[in-house]
Amino acid sequence: MVLPAATTRPRRPLAIPALVLFGIAWLVLMLLVAFSADLISPFPYTALDLRNRLAAPIGFGGPWLHPLGTDELGRDVLSRLIVSIRLSLLIAFGATLIGAFVGTSLGFLAAHFRGWVEHLVLALVDFSASLPFLILALSVLAFFGNSLTLFIVLLGFHAWERYARIARGLAISAGAQGYAAAVRQLGASPWRIYGRHVLPNIASTLIVSMTLAFPEIILLESGLSFLGLGVQPPATSLGNMVGYGREYLTRAPWILLAPAFIIVLTTFSVSLIGDWLRDRLDPTLR
Amino acid sequence: MTAPLLEAKGLVRRYVMRRGVFGRTVPVEAVAGVSLDLRVGETLGLVGESGCGKSTAGRLVLGLETPDEGSVRFDGAPMPEPGTDAWRKLRARMQLVFQDPLGALDRRITIGEQIAEPLVIHATPGDHAARVAELLTSVGLREEQASRYPHELSGGQRQRAVLARALATEPALIVADEPISALDVSIQAQVMNLLADIQARRGTALLFISHDLRVVRQVSHRVAVMYLGKIVEEGDPDGVLQEPAHPYAQALVSAIPAPGRQGKRIVLQGDPPSPADRPTGCAFHPRCAVAVAMCREVSPALKPRASDGRLVACHLVHGDAVSLKVAA
Amino acid sequence: MLRFLGFRLLRAIVTIVLVVTFAFVVLRLSGDPALLIMSVDAPPEAIAAFRAAWGLDDPLWVQYIRYFNAIFHGDLGRSMRDGRDAIVLVTERIPATLALTLPALAIKIGIGVPAGVYAALHRNSLADRMVMVMAVAGFTIPSFVLGLILVLVFAVQLGWLPSGGQESWRHAILPVITLGVGGAAVLARFTRSAMLEVLGQPFIRSASAKGVPWAAVVRNHALPNAAIPTVTIIGFMVGSLIAGAVVVESVFSWPGVGRLLVVAVANRDLAVVQCILLLVAMTMVIANLIVDLLYGALDPRLRATRTAGAH
Repeated sequence: MVLPAATTRPRRPLAIPALVLFGIAWLVLMLLVAFSADLISPFPYTALDLRNRLAAPIGFGGPWLHPLGTDELGRDVLSRLIVSIRLSLLIAFGATLIGAFVGTSLGFLAAHFRGWVEHLVLALVDFSASLPFLILALSVLAFFGNSLTLFIVLLGFHAWERYARIARGLAISAGAQGYAAAVRQLGASPWRIYGRHVLPNIASTLIVSMTLAFPEIILLESGLSFLGLGVQPPATSLGNMVGYGREYLTRAPWILLAPAFIIVLTTFSVSLIGDWLRDRLDPTLR
Repeated sequence: MTAPLLEAKGLVRRYVMRRGVFGRTVPVEAVAGVSLDLRVGETLGLVGESGCGKSTAGRLVLGLETPDEGSVRFDGAPMPEPGTDAWRKLRARMQLVFQDPLGALDRRITIGEQIAEPLVIHATPGDHAARVAELLTSVGLREEQASRYPHELSGGQRQRAVLARALATEPALIVADEPISALDVSIQAQVMNLLADIQARRGTALLFISHDLRVVRQVSHRVAVMYLGKIVEEGDPDGVLQEPAHPYAQALVSAIPAPGRQGKRIVLQGDPPSPADRPTGCAFHPRCAVAVAMCREVSPALKPRASDGRLVACHLVHGDAVSLKVAA
Repeated sequence: MLRFLGFRLLRAIVTIVLVVTFAFVVLRLSGDPALLIMSVDAPPEAIAAFRAAWGLDDPLWVQYIRYFNAIFHGDLGRSMRDGRDAIVLVTERIPATLALTLPALAIKIGIGVPAGVYAALHRNSLADRMVMVMAVAGFTIPSFVLGLILVLVFAVQLGWLPSGGQESWRHAILPVITLGVGGAAVLARFTRSAMLEVLGQPFIRSASAKGVPWAAVVRNHALPNAAIPTVTIIGFMVGSLIAGAVVVESVFSWPGVGRLLVVAVANRDLAVVQCILLLVAMTMVIANLIVDLLYGALDPRLRATRTAGAH
């Protein structure tokens, strides 16, 4: 572990930087929207308004009825956007948690049993680190078809190998010399060692990794949905709104721009928070 | 005499080491045939340079590692496999005190919880909070320090906390691996006294591992000197440290600065030892000032010296060979 | 050095075997191929005959070995859509993809590396902050959003460039920019942190303390050391030359491997998907192998530390 020298590390002010504050505020807003989606969306997201098809947003000559305009079937873009935010966030949170759980568990198993278990885990780590995840995900979708559960689980495997590496490395070093070895010789069971001692000690590192993986998963989800291979209609996610809006790029760009804007701002916010957390909590991560 | 509490016979522990990056793997004997025993209430001091295998010997004795050869018996029964229930239960009766108290404590949990942890693990009946308070006082800490975190204590206080945790289940055996070398000199004496005090009160057997001969002499009833995975001399501390018999022990003793002591300091020749390159015969012979041809060929056994029964592993001491250099 | 090569080669082969196994397992898990391929109302005897003909009745390990053998001989099956060999179908799309990914790679390296080095050398300057904001933005704007915005501005509003297709080099401009900008941002961010890490090392400070001119310290000490991690990420980019444009090709209707993959996945054309998967794995593994060899050239010490202390 090499820490940058004190001279090259500027002293960060204790206050949270304005950009990070903005990121936190935006993320909170998105979560509020996601949780209250049913309450705040003005229309059911599948409701058609055939008299107002491809209506422009307010300010671009559209009616007050549909603040962000409507799509080709007259569905309210704002309502669809709210429901999409909920689904995209659900997928991203679910997948991030799955990845962290799977990766950390495998990392602990490798650290605990060593030997062939460790070799197997490391070979799998090598394997998934050496292939672009998008290609792997596409192959699985081709073979298995698509369902929402499968899709979340599949995205959960994105970045699992990072957690596995971190968990294994830190658990081994804790077991070789430090507190974990001490607790083991007290007679503690593996559950106690890993659950009560190792996990809380490496939690900050894992949380930073999760904040760094979260925007990547949003991008993956929206990319796959954009290609028509992710979330399937009638369900709607941010990427899938962009994908369908693309056909009306020239006539009704708002269908596409609204969800695109949300994707960019959300990933940007979480990335800022993640970078900031990493600098604060864990300078050993890249 | 009663049977020893701890009896280790012919312990060998090999590690596999890689030479170079893709070089062949060489088995390295960190511990190359160590036998020792310990009675209730007794302290055995184990001394040697760093890398001589004394820490590994300590871990083998506790059953934290399994020996490749040899056996450990504790209280008359063989040591169970590490990780088994029987093994875990046995942890309540034997404890390790680490060199680095900060590393041995979980920095996210309070001192009190950590001291109570062995009680929780072994489901000890009774009021744990009261027991923690009692333990804290017995090692000279204040009761309210139970709510502190490790980084809020000083080095000496942390080592006391580690000791309190080790004592929680009233173990019959404590292995203390360099327990004071990370501490300030002024605190070293306090911790040493604490150990001696505990032993006197509870009759705990203590394996005291250190590189510091003076400290070992203070606390031990017997001293064993290790060199490259083997015990080369063992006897009562005054004898071994006043008048060492083995050339290596002589060199170690002569390196202690002592005012008014006669004689010259023996400076060891040659490279510091590495278990990867164990010399043939007596492992010490390349650095030994009095070695003869036989030392290169035959490994000396640890056996009682004719005059006083002190255990020594040296051909010259036993008169199996005669050094010309000594005569010269 | 030979041992080193052998070891890396072994790892490469293990990865390929894992990919093939992955394809096999996924293929078998996804359902009975007979039921997938035969029509719904096929009589049970026809399905049984199909199974016998394709050896689906054999034990799994026999099928596994047969599968390996076929792939080893370049037999990757036929496309279920037009019946042509999957491998032909895929290879004829490679030039089109390379026409996008190679110029994009040049942009990534040409802009990303100098920007990252400059930002690291002028840490906390205005330029550094600009580079970092651009880098985060480049990472967070998905390529399909960037591509569509470029289309909206340059094709729809300004009418300067075509929005899709592959008729002339002008059609390649927007997709190449879309690909290049995002990658340059990632590379700049990575190069900057690699550089900063090296600049914080004691040997840099001792070199400059000894009075070596700063420019020489940077040229002789910092750059070569920062190059090592940077080469890794470039290697990953080289490895994804074949299939790194899945999304962008779809945005711009560019008939490359990526577009083929998306269509094949949508149609569940398994032979084609599997062929592309193997091709990508091969390129990636070869690129990693080259990176490992470059490591050796850049820093002989690394050969010692990588296996001992890696992971």
